[in-house]
Amino acid sequence: MSSDFETYELDFGTLTADITNKIGRIPKLAGEEKTQLVLNVDKQLEEVRELLEQMDLEVREIPIQSRGMYSSRLKSYKQEMEKLEKDFKRSRIAYSDEVRNELLGDDASSSESQRAHLLDNTERLERSSRRLEAGYQIAVETEQVGQEILTNLHSDREKIQRSRDRLRETDANLGKSSRILTSMLRRDTSWTLRCSSLRLC
Amino acid sequence: MNLPFAFVHSRSSSKVEEACDLYVRAANMFKMAKNWGAAGDAFCKAAQLHLQVQSKHNAAMNLLDAGNAFKKADPQEAISCFCQAIDIYTDMGRFNIAAKHHISIAEIYESELLDIDKAIAHYEQAADYYKGEESTSAANKCLLKVATYAAQMEQYQKATEIFEQIGTYSMDTTLLRYGAKDHFFKAALCHFCVDMLNCKLAVQKYEEMYPAFSDARECKLLKKLLDAHEEQNIDAYADAVREFDSITRLDQWQTTMLLRIKKTIQDEENDLR
Repeated sequence: MSSDFETYELDFGTLTADITNKIGRIPKLAGEEKTQLVLNVDKQLEEVRELLEQMDLEVREIPIQSRGMYSSRLKSYKQEMEKLEKDFKRSRIAYSDEVRNELLGDDASSSESQRAHLLDNTERLERSSRRLEAGYQIAVETEQVGQEILTNLHSDREKIQRSRDRLRETDANLGKSSRILTSMLRRDTSWTLRCSSLRLC
Repeated sequence: MNLPFAFVHSRSSSKVEEACDLYVRAANMFKMAKNWGAAGDAFCKAAQLHLQVQSKHNAAMNLLDAGNAFKKADPQEAISCFCQAIDIYTDMGRFNIAAKHHISIAEIYESELLDIDKAIAHYEQAADYYKGEESTSAANKCLLKVATYAAQMEQYQKATEIFEQIGTYSMDTTLLRYGAKDHFFKAALCHFCVDMLNCKLAVQKYEEMYPAFSDARECKLLKKLLDAHEEQNIDAYADAVREFDSITRLDQWQTTMLLRIKKTIQDEENDLR
Protein backbone atom coordinates (compact mmCIF):
# COMPACT_ATOMS: atom_id res chain seq x y z
CA MET A 1 0.00 0.00 0.00
CA SER A 2 2.62 2.47 0.99
CA SER A 3 4.43 1.84 -2.26
CA ASP A 4 1.34 3.11 -4.08
CA PHE A 5 1.46 6.10 -1.80
CA GLU A 6 5.10 6.62 -2.63
CA THR A 7 4.42 6.42 -6.37
CA TYR A 8 1.70 8.95 -5.86
CA GLU A 9 4.17 11.11 -3.99
CA LEU A 10 6.69 10.93 -6.79
CA ASP A 11 4.07 11.81 -9.35
CA PHE A 12 2.92 14.65 -7.14
CA GLY A 13 6.49 15.92 -6.91
CA THR A 14 7.08 15.93 -10.68
CA LEU A 15 3.71 17.44 -11.42
CA THR A 16 4.12 20.26 -8.91
CA ALA A 17 7.62 21.02 -10.21
CA ASP A 18 6.30 21.21 -13.71
CA ILE A 19 3.36 23.36 -12.65
CA THR A 20 5.67 25.76 -10.78
CA ASN A 21 7.85 26.03 -13.84
CA LYS A 22 4.89 26.79 -16.08
CA ILE A 23 3.42 29.26 -13.63
CA GLY A 24 6.73 31.08 -13.68
CA ARG A 25 6.55 31.32 -17.45
CA ILE A 26 2.92 32.41 -17.80
CA PRO A 27 3.30 36.17 -17.12
CA LYS A 28 6.00 36.48 -19.73
CA LEU A 29 3.85 35.11 -22.49
CA ALA A 30 0.81 36.51 -24.18
CA GLY A 31 -2.05 35.51 -26.41
CA GLU A 32 -2.14 32.04 -27.87
CA GLU A 33 0.81 30.59 -26.00
CA LYS A 34 -0.49 31.94 -22.74
CA THR A 35 -3.92 30.37 -23.16
CA GLN A 36 -2.26 27.10 -24.11
CA LEU A 37 -0.04 27.15 -21.09
CA VAL A 38 -2.93 28.11 -18.86
CA LEU A 39 -4.97 25.17 -20.12
CA ASN A 40 -1.99 22.93 -19.55
CA VAL A 41 -1.53 24.08 -16.01
CA ASP A 42 -5.24 23.69 -15.42
CA LYS A 43 -5.10 20.10 -16.58
CA GLN A 44 -2.07 19.40 -14.43
CA LEU A 45 -3.78 20.91 -11.40
CA GLU A 46 -6.71 18.57 -12.06
CA GLU A 47 -4.33 15.61 -12.11
CA VAL A 48 -2.73 16.80 -8.89
CA ARG A 49 -6.14 17.02 -7.25
CA GLU A 50 -6.98 13.49 -8.35
CA LEU A 51 -3.63 12.31 -7.03
CA LEU A 52 -4.33 13.91 -3.70
CA GLU A 53 -7.75 12.25 -3.53
CA GLN A 54 -6.21 8.88 -4.21
CA MET A 55 -3.54 9.52 -1.62
CA ASP A 56 -6.28 10.35 0.78
CA LEU A 57 -8.06 7.05 0.09
CA GLU A 58 -4.77 5.25 0.50
CA VAL A 59 -4.14 6.88 3.83
CA ARG A 60 -7.63 5.90 5.01
CA GLU A 61 -6.90 2.26 4.25
CA ILE A 62 -3.73 2.37 6.31
CA PRO A 63 -4.28 1.21 9.93
CA ILE A 64 -4.64 4.08 12.35
CA GLN A 65 -1.32 3.48 14.12
CA SER A 66 0.90 4.24 11.17
CA ARG A 67 -1.49 6.80 9.63
CA GLY A 68 0.00 9.79 11.41
CA MET A 69 3.07 10.29 9.22
CA TYR A 70 1.19 9.84 6.01
CA SER A 71 -1.67 12.11 6.97
CA SER A 72 0.73 14.88 7.96
CA ARG A 73 2.53 14.49 4.62
CA LEU A 74 -0.81 14.55 2.89
CA LYS A 75 -1.72 17.74 4.71
CA SER A 76 1.50 19.43 3.61
CA TYR A 77 0.87 18.30 0.04
CA LYS A 78 -2.60 19.77 0.16
CA GLN A 79 -1.22 23.07 1.41
CA GLU A 80 1.33 23.04 -1.35
CA MET A 81 -1.39 22.49 -3.89
CA GLU A 82 -3.44 25.37 -2.55
CA LYS A 83 -0.41 27.58 -2.75
CA LEU A 84 0.14 26.48 -6.34
CA GLU A 85 -3.44 27.29 -7.20
CA LYS A 86 -3.10 30.74 -5.69
CA ASP A 87 0.12 31.33 -7.56
CA PHE A 88 -1.54 30.15 -10.71
CA LYS A 89 -4.43 32.59 -10.32
CA ARG A 90 -2.04 35.44 -9.58
CA SER A 91 0.19 34.62 -12.51
CA ARG A 92 -2.68 34.88 -14.91
CA ILE A 93 -3.24 38.51 -14.05
CA ALA A 94 0.37 39.44 -13.39
CA TYR A 95 2.42 41.67 -15.61
CA SER A 96 6.02 41.23 -16.36
CA ASP A 97 8.82 43.71 -16.81
CA GLU A 98 10.10 41.91 -19.83
CA VAL A 99 7.00 42.59 -21.85
CA ARG A 100 7.52 46.35 -21.33
CA ASN A 101 11.14 46.18 -22.32
CA GLU A 102 10.30 44.21 -25.40
CA LEU A 103 7.75 46.79 -26.42
CA LEU A 104 9.97 49.83 -25.88
CA GLY A 105 13.24 48.30 -27.01
CA ASP A 106 15.35 47.03 -24.14
CA ASP A 107 18.56 49.02 -24.56
CA ALA A 108 18.84 51.35 -21.50
CA SER A 109 18.44 50.07 -18.03
CA SER A 110 15.32 51.33 -16.25
CA SER A 111 16.95 53.67 -13.70
CA GLU A 112 18.85 55.61 -16.38
CA SER A 113 15.78 56.25 -18.46
CA GLN A 114 13.84 57.33 -15.38
CA ARG A 115 16.49 59.91 -14.52
CA ALA A 116 16.48 61.27 -18.05
CA HIS A 117 12.71 61.42 -17.90
CA LEU A 118 12.76 63.46 -14.69
CA LEU A 119 15.36 65.89 -16.06
CA ASP A 120 13.23 66.33 -19.13
CA ASN A 121 10.22 67.17 -16.98
CA THR A 122 12.14 69.73 -14.92
CA GLU A 123 13.38 71.40 -18.06
CA ARG A 124 9.87 71.54 -19.45
CA LEU A 125 8.60 73.15 -16.22
CA GLU A 126 11.39 75.73 -16.32
CA ARG A 127 10.59 76.57 -19.89
CA SER A 128 6.93 77.05 -19.04
CA SER A 129 7.71 79.35 -16.11
CA ARG A 130 10.02 81.42 -18.29
CA ARG A 131 7.30 81.77 -20.88
CA LEU A 132 4.78 82.77 -18.23
CA GLU A 133 7.13 85.47 -16.97
CA ALA A 134 7.63 86.81 -20.46
CA GLY A 135 3.89 86.85 -20.95
CA TYR A 136 3.44 88.78 -17.73
CA GLN A 137 6.06 91.30 -18.83
CA ILE A 138 4.28 91.82 -22.10
CA ALA A 139 0.99 92.31 -20.28
CA VAL A 140 2.54 94.99 -18.07
CA GLU A 141 4.01 96.74 -21.11
CA THR A 142 0.65 96.63 -22.81
CA GLU A 143 -0.86 98.26 -19.75
CA GLN A 144 1.68 101.07 -19.93
CA VAL A 145 1.03 101.62 -23.61
CA GLY A 146 -2.68 101.71 -22.92
CA GLN A 147 -2.08 104.31 -20.20
CA GLU A 148 -0.20 106.56 -22.60
CA ILE A 149 -2.91 106.22 -25.18
CA LEU A 150 -5.51 107.20 -22.60
CA THR A 151 -3.52 110.32 -21.64
CA ASN A 152 -3.28 111.28 -25.29
CA LEU A 153 -6.97 110.75 -25.73
CA HIS A 154 -7.68 112.98 -22.76
CA SER A 155 -5.64 115.86 -24.16
CA ASP A 156 -7.15 115.37 -27.61
CA ARG A 157 -10.57 115.52 -26.04
CA GLU A 158 -9.83 118.91 -24.53
CA LYS A 159 -8.45 120.23 -27.81
CA ILE A 160 -11.51 119.08 -29.72
CA GLN A 161 -13.84 120.63 -27.17
CA ARG A 162 -12.00 123.91 -27.38
CA SER A 163 -12.06 123.91 -31.20
CA ARG A 164 -15.76 123.15 -31.17
CA ASP A 165 -16.46 126.05 -28.82
CA ARG A 166 -14.36 128.40 -30.91
CA LEU A 167 -16.16 127.22 -34.02
CA ARG A 168 -19.52 127.94 -32.44
CA GLU A 169 -18.31 131.42 -31.49
CA THR A 170 -17.09 132.05 -35.03
CA ASP A 171 -20.38 130.82 -36.38
CA ALA A 172 -22.27 133.22 -34.11
CA ASN A 173 -20.01 136.09 -35.18
CA LEU A 174 -20.53 135.28 -38.83
CA GLY A 175 -24.26 135.25 -38.32
CA LYS A 176 -24.08 138.63 -36.63
CA SER A 177 -21.94 140.11 -39.41
CA SER A 178 -24.26 138.81 -42.13
CA ARG A 179 -27.21 140.38 -40.30
CA ILE A 180 -25.38 143.71 -40.07
CA LEU A 181 -24.57 143.53 -43.77
CA THR A 182 -28.17 142.84 -44.74
CA SER A 183 -29.35 145.73 -42.58
CA MET A 184 -26.73 147.97 -44.24
CA LEU A 185 -27.96 146.84 -47.63
CA ARG A 186 -31.57 147.56 -46.70
CA ARG A 187 -30.68 151.03 -45.41
CA ASP A 188 -28.76 151.69 -48.58
CA THR A 189 -31.63 150.63 -50.87
CA SER A 190 -34.17 152.65 -48.88
CA TRP A 191 -31.83 155.70 -49.11
CA THR A 192 -31.46 155.36 -52.89
CA LEU A 193 -35.23 154.99 -53.26
CA ARG A 194 -35.73 158.18 -51.28
CA CYS A 195 -33.13 160.00 -53.40
CA SER A 196 -34.71 158.87 -56.65
CA SER A 197 -38.18 159.86 -55.41
CA LEU A 198 -36.85 163.35 -54.46
CA ARG A 199 -35.29 163.77 -57.89
CA LEU A 200 -38.55 162.93 -59.54
CA CYS A 201 -40.26 165.60 -57.50
CA MET B 1 19.26 132.27 -55.91
CA ASN B 2 18.76 136.03 -56.04
CA LEU B 3 18.21 138.17 -52.96
CA PRO B 4 15.25 140.39 -53.84
CA PHE B 5 15.46 144.07 -52.84
CA ALA B 6 12.85 145.45 -50.47
CA PHE B 7 11.56 149.02 -50.87
CA VAL B 8 11.51 149.96 -47.21
CA HIS B 9 11.48 153.71 -47.69
CA SER B 10 7.97 153.86 -49.13
CA ARG B 11 5.19 154.54 -46.61
CA SER B 12 2.37 152.87 -48.49
CA SER B 13 1.28 149.70 -46.79
CA SER B 14 0.95 147.66 -49.95
CA LYS B 15 4.60 148.20 -50.67
CA VAL B 16 5.47 147.13 -47.15
CA GLU B 17 3.39 144.04 -47.56
CA GLU B 18 5.10 143.27 -50.80
CA ALA B 19 8.41 143.68 -49.05
CA CYS B 20 7.31 141.33 -46.32
CA ASP B 21 6.28 138.73 -48.86
CA LEU B 22 9.60 138.99 -50.57
CA TYR B 23 11.45 138.62 -47.28
CA VAL B 24 9.41 135.51 -46.48
CA ARG B 25 10.20 134.02 -49.87
CA ALA B 26 13.86 134.72 -49.34
CA ALA B 27 13.78 133.09 -45.95
CA ASN B 28 12.13 129.98 -47.38
CA MET B 29 14.82 129.72 -50.00
CA PHE B 30 17.47 130.02 -47.30
CA LYS B 31 15.73 127.19 -45.51
CA MET B 32 15.88 125.06 -48.64
CA ALA B 33 19.60 125.73 -48.81
CA LYS B 34 19.82 124.88 -45.10
CA ASN B 35 21.27 128.28 -44.29
CA TRP B 36 19.38 128.54 -41.01
CA GLY B 37 20.98 131.72 -39.70
CA ALA B 38 20.17 133.75 -42.80
CA ALA B 39 16.65 132.28 -42.91
CA GLY B 40 16.07 133.35 -39.31
CA ASP B 41 17.31 136.87 -40.04
CA ALA B 42 15.04 137.21 -43.05
CA PHE B 43 12.04 136.07 -41.02
CA CYS B 44 12.91 138.58 -38.29
CA LYS B 45 13.04 141.44 -40.77
CA ALA B 46 9.67 140.40 -42.19
CA ALA B 47 8.24 140.37 -38.68
CA GLN B 48 9.50 143.89 -37.96
CA LEU B 49 7.88 145.17 -41.14
CA HIS B 50 4.62 143.55 -40.16
CA LEU B 51 4.78 145.24 -36.76
CA GLN B 52 5.18 148.57 -38.52
CA VAL B 53 1.87 148.05 -40.31
CA GLN B 54 0.28 146.82 -37.11
CA SER B 55 -0.53 143.34 -38.37
CA LYS B 56 0.42 141.59 -35.15
CA HIS B 57 -0.70 138.12 -36.20
CA ASN B 58 1.58 138.02 -39.18
CA ALA B 59 4.45 139.48 -37.20
CA ALA B 60 4.10 136.86 -34.54
CA MET B 61 3.94 134.08 -37.13
CA ASN B 62 7.09 135.32 -38.78
CA LEU B 63 8.84 135.50 -35.42
CA LEU B 64 7.87 131.91 -34.82
CA ASP B 65 9.31 130.84 -38.13
CA ALA B 66 12.46 132.77 -37.27
CA GLY B 67 12.65 130.99 -33.94
CA ASN B 68 12.30 127.60 -35.56
CA ALA B 69 15.01 128.39 -38.07
CA PHE B 70 17.36 129.68 -35.37
CA LYS B 71 16.76 126.56 -33.29
CA LYS B 72 19.14 124.71 -35.53
CA ALA B 73 21.77 127.44 -35.71
CA ASP B 74 21.80 129.76 -32.71
CA PRO B 75 19.66 128.75 -29.72
CA GLN B 76 19.93 132.09 -27.94
CA GLU B 77 18.57 133.98 -30.92
CA ALA B 78 15.79 131.44 -31.19
CA ILE B 79 14.84 132.03 -27.59
CA SER B 80 14.74 135.79 -28.05
CA CYS B 81 12.53 135.42 -31.15
CA PHE B 82 10.20 133.10 -29.28
CA CYS B 83 10.02 135.53 -26.34
CA GLN B 84 9.05 138.38 -28.64
CA ALA B 85 6.38 136.21 -30.24
CA ILE B 86 5.06 135.22 -26.82
CA ASP B 87 4.79 138.90 -25.83
CA ILE B 88 2.69 139.61 -28.90
CA TYR B 89 0.43 136.63 -28.25
CA THR B 90 -0.13 137.41 -24.59
CA ASP B 91 -0.92 140.95 -25.66
CA MET B 92 -3.58 139.60 -27.94
CA GLY B 93 -4.83 137.26 -25.25
CA ARG B 94 -3.92 134.01 -27.04
CA PHE B 95 -2.53 132.24 -23.99
CA ASN B 96 -2.71 128.75 -25.40
CA ILE B 97 -0.29 129.52 -28.15
CA ALA B 98 1.91 131.50 -25.78
CA ALA B 99 2.05 128.48 -23.49
CA LYS B 100 2.94 126.23 -26.38
CA HIS B 101 5.91 128.41 -27.17
CA HIS B 102 7.00 128.60 -23.58
CA ILE B 103 7.27 124.83 -23.87
CA SER B 104 9.39 125.17 -27.02
CA ILE B 105 11.72 127.56 -25.22
CA ALA B 106 11.92 125.23 -22.26
CA GLU B 107 12.79 122.37 -24.60
CA ILE B 108 15.62 124.37 -26.09
CA TYR B 109 16.94 125.06 -22.57
CA GLU B 110 16.62 121.36 -21.80
CA SER B 111 18.42 120.02 -24.83
CA GLU B 112 20.77 122.63 -26.26
CA LEU B 113 21.63 125.04 -23.50
CA LEU B 114 21.22 122.62 -20.60
CA ASP B 115 19.95 125.28 -18.24
CA ILE B 116 17.51 123.30 -16.12
CA ASP B 117 16.42 126.19 -13.87
CA LYS B 118 15.29 128.33 -16.76
CA ALA B 119 13.62 125.33 -18.34
CA ILE B 120 11.68 124.73 -15.12
CA ALA B 121 10.65 128.40 -15.04
CA HIS B 122 9.32 128.27 -18.58
CA TYR B 123 7.47 125.01 -17.99
CA GLU B 124 5.85 126.52 -14.93
CA GLN B 125 4.79 129.58 -16.89
CA ALA B 126 3.34 127.38 -19.60
CA ALA B 127 1.43 125.32 -17.02
CA ASP B 128 -0.01 128.51 -15.50
CA TYR B 129 -1.21 129.75 -18.86
CA TYR B 130 -2.73 126.39 -19.68
CA LYS B 131 -4.51 126.30 -16.35
CA GLY B 132 -5.87 129.75 -17.07
CA GLU B 133 -7.27 128.46 -20.32
CA GLU B 134 -8.77 125.35 -18.68
CA SER B 135 -6.54 122.95 -20.60
CA THR B 136 -5.79 120.80 -17.61
CA SER B 137 -4.22 117.91 -19.49
CA ALA B 138 -1.64 120.12 -21.18
CA ALA B 139 -1.05 121.88 -17.87
CA ASN B 140 -0.49 118.54 -16.19
CA LYS B 141 2.00 117.53 -18.84
CA CYS B 142 4.05 120.66 -18.13
CA LEU B 143 3.72 120.27 -14.40
CA LEU B 144 4.99 116.71 -14.65
CA LYS B 145 8.12 117.95 -16.33
CA VAL B 146 8.54 120.62 -13.68
CA ALA B 147 8.22 118.04 -10.94
CA THR B 148 10.65 115.61 -12.60
CA TYR B 149 13.30 118.25 -12.92
CA ALA B 150 12.63 119.65 -9.46
CA ALA B 151 13.16 116.23 -7.94
CA GLN B 152 16.36 115.87 -9.92
CA MET B 153 17.52 119.19 -8.51
CA GLU B 154 16.53 117.94 -5.02
CA GLN B 155 13.61 120.32 -4.59
CA TYR B 156 11.60 117.49 -3.13
CA GLN B 157 8.89 119.55 -1.49
CA LYS B 158 7.80 121.11 -4.74
CA ALA B 159 8.00 117.82 -6.59
CA THR B 160 5.89 115.92 -4.06
CA GLU B 161 3.19 118.58 -4.06
CA ILE B 162 2.93 118.53 -7.82
CA PHE B 163 2.90 114.74 -8.08
CA GLU B 164 0.24 114.42 -5.43
CA GLN B 165 -1.87 117.06 -7.09
CA ILE B 166 -1.65 115.36 -10.46
CA GLY B 167 -2.28 111.99 -8.85
CA THR B 168 -5.47 113.12 -7.16
CA TYR B 169 -6.66 114.71 -10.35
CA SER B 170 -5.98 111.57 -12.39
CA MET B 171 -7.78 109.47 -9.82
CA ASP B 172 -11.02 111.28 -10.51
CA THR B 173 -11.01 111.14 -14.29
CA THR B 174 -12.09 107.88 -15.79
CA LEU B 175 -9.57 108.10 -18.59
CA LEU B 176 -6.55 108.84 -16.47
CA ARG B 177 -7.33 106.48 -13.62
CA TYR B 178 -4.74 103.90 -14.62
CA GLY B 179 -1.95 106.45 -14.63
CA ALA B 180 -2.69 107.63 -11.11
CA LYS B 181 -0.70 104.87 -9.43
CA ASP B 182 2.36 105.93 -11.38
CA HIS B 183 2.08 109.48 -10.04
CA PHE B 184 1.59 108.32 -6.47
CA PHE B 185 4.64 106.10 -6.82
CA LYS B 186 6.74 109.05 -7.92
CA ALA B 187 5.41 111.20 -5.09
CA ALA B 188 6.23 108.47 -2.60
CA LEU B 189 9.78 108.19 -3.98
CA CYS B 190 10.27 111.93 -3.44
CA HIS B 191 8.96 111.59 0.11
CA PHE B 192 11.36 108.74 0.63
CA CYS B 193 14.33 110.85 -0.44
CA VAL B 194 13.47 113.30 2.29
CA ASP B 195 12.52 111.04 5.14
CA MET B 196 11.38 107.46 5.58
CA LEU B 197 8.62 108.27 8.02
CA ASN B 198 7.14 110.77 5.57
CA CYS B 199 7.07 108.05 2.98
CA LYS B 200 5.26 105.61 5.27
CA LEU B 201 2.58 108.13 6.12
CA ALA B 202 2.27 109.11 2.49
CA VAL B 203 1.82 105.52 1.33
CA GLN B 204 -0.90 105.00 3.91
CA LYS B 205 -2.61 108.18 2.82
CA TYR B 206 -2.51 107.14 -0.82
CA GLU B 207 -3.91 103.72 -0.03
CA GLU B 208 -6.81 105.33 1.76
CA MET B 209 -7.47 107.73 -1.06
CA TYR B 210 -7.09 105.24 -3.84
CA PRO B 211 -7.73 101.63 -2.85
CA ALA B 212 -6.51 100.20 -6.13
CA PHE B 213 -3.06 101.54 -5.30
CA SER B 214 -2.45 98.78 -2.77
CA ASP B 215 -2.75 96.13 -5.48
CA ALA B 216 -0.23 97.80 -7.70
CA ARG B 217 3.22 96.30 -8.01
CA GLU B 218 4.67 99.70 -7.27
CA CYS B 219 3.03 99.83 -3.90
CA LYS B 220 4.39 96.40 -3.03
CA LEU B 221 7.85 97.52 -4.05
CA LEU B 222 7.53 100.61 -1.86
CA LYS B 223 6.57 98.52 1.14
CA LYS B 224 9.50 96.19 0.61
CA LEU B 225 11.85 99.15 0.29
CA LEU B 226 10.48 100.70 3.46
CA ASP B 227 11.07 97.46 5.35
CA ALA B 228 14.58 97.14 3.97
CA HIS B 229 15.30 100.71 4.98
CA GLU B 230 14.04 100.11 8.50
CA GLU B 231 16.24 97.09 8.88
CA GLN B 232 19.13 98.88 7.15
CA ASN B 233 19.40 95.86 4.88
CA ILE B 234 21.00 96.87 1.59
CA ASP B 235 20.74 93.43 0.06
CA ALA B 236 17.01 93.21 0.62
CA TYR B 237 16.70 96.66 -0.95
CA ALA B 238 18.73 95.66 -3.99
CA ASP B 239 16.80 92.39 -4.33
CA ALA B 240 13.44 94.13 -4.26
CA VAL B 241 14.59 96.64 -6.87
CA ARG B 242 16.02 93.93 -9.09
CA GLU B 243 12.83 91.93 -8.88
CA PHE B 244 10.77 94.93 -9.94
CA ASP B 245 13.21 95.75 -12.71
CA SER B 246 12.99 92.26 -14.14
CA ILE B 247 9.36 92.79 -14.99
CA THR B 248 9.27 96.48 -15.91
CA ARG B 249 12.45 98.26 -16.68
CA LEU B 250 13.01 101.24 -14.38
CA ASP B 251 13.54 104.48 -16.25
CA GLN B 252 16.40 106.92 -15.70
CA TRP B 253 14.63 109.19 -13.24
CA GLN B 254 13.39 106.35 -11.07
CA THR B 255 16.81 104.73 -11.02
CA THR B 256 18.41 108.00 -9.88
CA MET B 257 15.87 108.42 -7.09
CA LEU B 258 16.21 104.84 -5.90
CA LEU B 259 19.98 105.15 -5.95
CA ARG B 260 19.80 108.24 -3.75
CA ILE B 261 17.62 106.42 -1.27
CA LYS B 262 19.99 103.47 -1.32
CA LYS B 263 22.88 105.81 -0.55
CA THR B 264 21.04 107.07 2.50
CA ILE B 265 20.87 103.49 3.79
CA GLN B 266 24.58 103.07 3.24
CA ASP B 267 25.33 106.36 4.95
CA GLU B 268 23.29 105.38 7.95
CA GLU B 269 25.09 102.08 8.14
CA ASN B 270 28.42 103.83 8.12
CA ASP B 271 27.23 106.23 10.80
CA LEU B 272 26.24 103.36 13.06
CA ARG B 273 29.66 101.81 12.68
